Amino acid sequence: MKLQSAPVTIIIALALLAVVAGGLALVGGLDIRKEKNPGDNELAKAAATAQPVTNCFESRETYSAVARTENVVPQYGYPNVKCSNTTSGVLWYGDPFDGTIPMGEMPKVADETQGDFVNAVVKPREPRLTYFNMGPDGCATCHNGTIVPFPKDKTPRLIGMHQDIVANSLQLMHGRGALWCLDCHSATNRNRLLDRRGNEITFNQPQRLCGSCHGEKYIDWREGIHGKRIGEWKTGGKKRWWVCTECHNPHTVQTIRFQPINPEPPPPLPRGMKIADYVRGDQSAH
Amino acid sequence: MSHKETDNSTKKDNATTSRRNFLKKIGIAGAAALMSDNASADVSAGSSNPDAEITASEWLQGHFVLMSDEEKKNAIGRLEKRYTAQYGKKTTVSDAPPLEGVLFGYALDISKCIGCRRCVHACVKENNQSRYNPVIQWIQVMKIPRGNFAFSAEKLNEGFPKSSAMGDYGVQVGGNAYAPVGGLSVEHADSYYPADEKVPDKNFFYVPVQCQQCEKPPCVKACPVRATFRDPNGVVLIDYNWCIGCRMCQLACPYQARHFNWGEPNLPAEEMNPKTHYFGNRPRMRGVMEKCTFCLQRTREGRNPACLEACPVGARKFGNLLDPDSDVRKILATKKVFRFKDEMSTYPKFFYYIG
Ligand code: HEC
Ligand code: HEC
Ligand code: HEC
Ligand code: HEC
Repeated sequence: MKLQSAPVTIIIALALLAVVAGGLALVGGLDIRKEKNPGDNELAKAAATAQPVTNCFESRETYSAVARTENVVPQYGYPNVKCSNTTSGVLWYGDPFDGTIPMGEMPKVADETQGDFVNAVVKPREPRLTYFNMGPDGCATCHNGTIVPFPKDKTPRLIGMHQDIVANSLQLMHGRGALWCLDCHSATNRNRLLDRRGNEITFNQPQRLCGSCHGEKYIDWREGIHGKRIGEWKTGGKKRWWVCTECHNPHTVQTIRFQPINPEPPPPLPRGMKIADYVRGDQSAH
Repeated sequence: MSHKETDNSTKKDNATTSRRNFLKKIGIAGAAALMSDNASADVSAGSSNPDAEITASEWLQGHFVLMSDEEKKNAIGRLEKRYTAQYGKKTTVSDAPPLEGVLFGYALDISKCIGCRRCVHACVKENNQSRYNPVIQWIQVMKIPRGNFAFSAEKLNEGFPKSSAMGDYGVQVGGNAYAPVGGLSVEHADSYYPADEKVPDKNFFYVPVQCQQCEKPPCVKACPVRATFRDPNGVVLIDYNWCIGCRMCQLACPYQARHFNWGEPNLPAEEMNPKTHYFGNRPRMRGVMEKCTFCLQRTREGRNPACLEACPVGARKFGNLLDPDSDVRKILATKKVFRFKDEMSTYPKFFYYIG
């Protein structure tokens, strides 16, 4: 590419202009753009210099809580996560694999390989569950056959417990009346989930449970299309996978597929704009 | 280095008409005097004012892509020294080359996006944008009313043009004729919706827009000094030091993806991300353009972009378009996919899909 002399002159002229403009700005201390929204700027400034938030959550409020730990990556002084000052949502990962364990044994994919699961890690679910952590034996602390007797059959009945998880056990918000607790929870080993074929599954691998009914979504999830994976982008690289229950509450999906959250603050309005031209969808045009 | 940053590998000695030569012509002494009296001092000698000595060398530096390995090393060294001093923490400036056999692509599921703006702020945390005065954000999330295909009897009498003193006139169609239908109409789009209402609002959908990494980038065509260019991985980059701040690229971009540093950027030291790349997130200066690079400093080392990692619903997917097993290729193969402002013929490598 050989530049001819005409463009060169233009470039020189532009460069000269830039130098002159820059020089003027330097000399006069002239601020080319006066901010019109000092309020927003003050907010942004306060947010940028505030103390870091330490109690954060990822996708599902309270059920995907993370605590910020300092200096997890000493080379850059990174914490494990950086979170929002306004919503406590996790915004940024210093170490995408902090607090993860291997995904564990997964069914083989069609070509008899482990597919992309080879380097898969997940965050364990068991530490997240309120009732699992009430005693040394997890759910079996109560559900051991004596303190709470094992249910005789799968017939739905009103239960006098766990109303914080399922408000009314006769109106479970999953499966439009076709599902009940014991379609997913083992009757005799309450520390385990149970898939349709009666295989026991740990709480850390809910995808094997959900996948047994939601085959299509499971395939998308396994391919990396549904759900979320962070870490390396390369096929076969190390990735942290989000399991189904990190986003979905299995007891409410019929009404709340994904629990709504608060958004992060908006950018300041552009110079000269006093209010956002905020038009609601139901307002008819003109 | 084995790779060249640009496709049209330009020989170094051909670039005889650079800004460097221009500065030489008007006289180095004069240029240096413009900046500081310290500047003419020997660059390698440790000066009490690292900024001044570095500034001088930076002003004389060529386009990074055309530099020799030695010149690159010096340029990187200067920057690391300056940033480390300025922000009080050990800062690295990488010049990791483009990857072999990779064309980066991005896919975003607008049926999942809830408009939470976490990607916007994740990007700011990663990429060292100015935090205030000016606030610079590379991602903009549009909130757009859902199109309504449903026919409803009550709506039949709505939506007519209002009658005026002149009487009723106009094309008399009612019903849904004035409500947007499907597609990505940016009419009534609002990027400033408040933070005090939970998202998603079921009457709206949300469309985050950032640099679309076009295959035919109008910004690159518009740049008079080739400070912005498309790298072999398909990412449009900027040499901030070579940028003259003319803002032609900003006008050329149909996606409002380019942002200008009107003032000295305000980046608090504790917020600064010390892992940087020359063409990526290293702190910018006043008077230069900046935009999304797909988190070059991460993606060239194999890691996902920060916006993807922040998305709580998993609506963002990134990968190699040349790898048929990548997430993005699988989406292109199996989902309904479209490009934003297709009619502009910019051929973005940023795809929107319905999952
Ligand atoms: C503090 C004791 C306690 C713990 C710990 C506990 N449960 Fe329960 N749970 C009960 C009681 C009591 C009932 C039965 C109430 C009734 O029959 O009315 C019950 C009933 C249930 C039922 C309804 C089916 C049945 O067996 O009657 C399910 C499902 C269930 N629990 C799941 C769990 C899971 C999963 C855990 C662990 C994460 C857990 N529980 C931990 C006390 C407990
Ligand atoms: C669709 C399958 C499914 C059904 C049906 C189901 N659960 Fe669960 N349940 C789960 C899964 C999966 C978890 C683990 C959730 C997690 O990881 O966040 C769980 C967790 C629990 C817990 C522990 C929550 C905690 O925070 O400690 C309780 C208690 C519980 N279920 C009770 C019930 C009761 C009672 C019913 C019936 C009214 C029921 N479940 C029906 C799948 C199901
Ligand atoms: C025993 C079978 C079964 C299992 C196991 C199961 N589901 Fe479901 N799920 C259903 C049925 C049935 C529906 C209702 C589908 C419909 O109405 O079209 C449903 C609906 C849903 C929906 C959509 C809600 C709606 O109304 O459209 C979500 C999301 C969902 N399930 C998530 C999960 C997750 C996450 C798990 C694992 C924790 C899971 N399911 C496990 C049977 C199951
Ligand atoms: C990163 C978060 C995330 C993970 C992980 C995730 N989902 Fe979802 N899923 C979503 C979101 C968001 C939606 C869309 C919700 C809506 O439409 O309101 C969704 C929708 C669904 C639906 C309803 C879809 C429809 O079109 O009817 C099902 C069923 C479902 N998911 C099952 C699963 C299963 C099974 C898994 C685990 C294998 C899983 N999801 C993992 C976020 C997630």
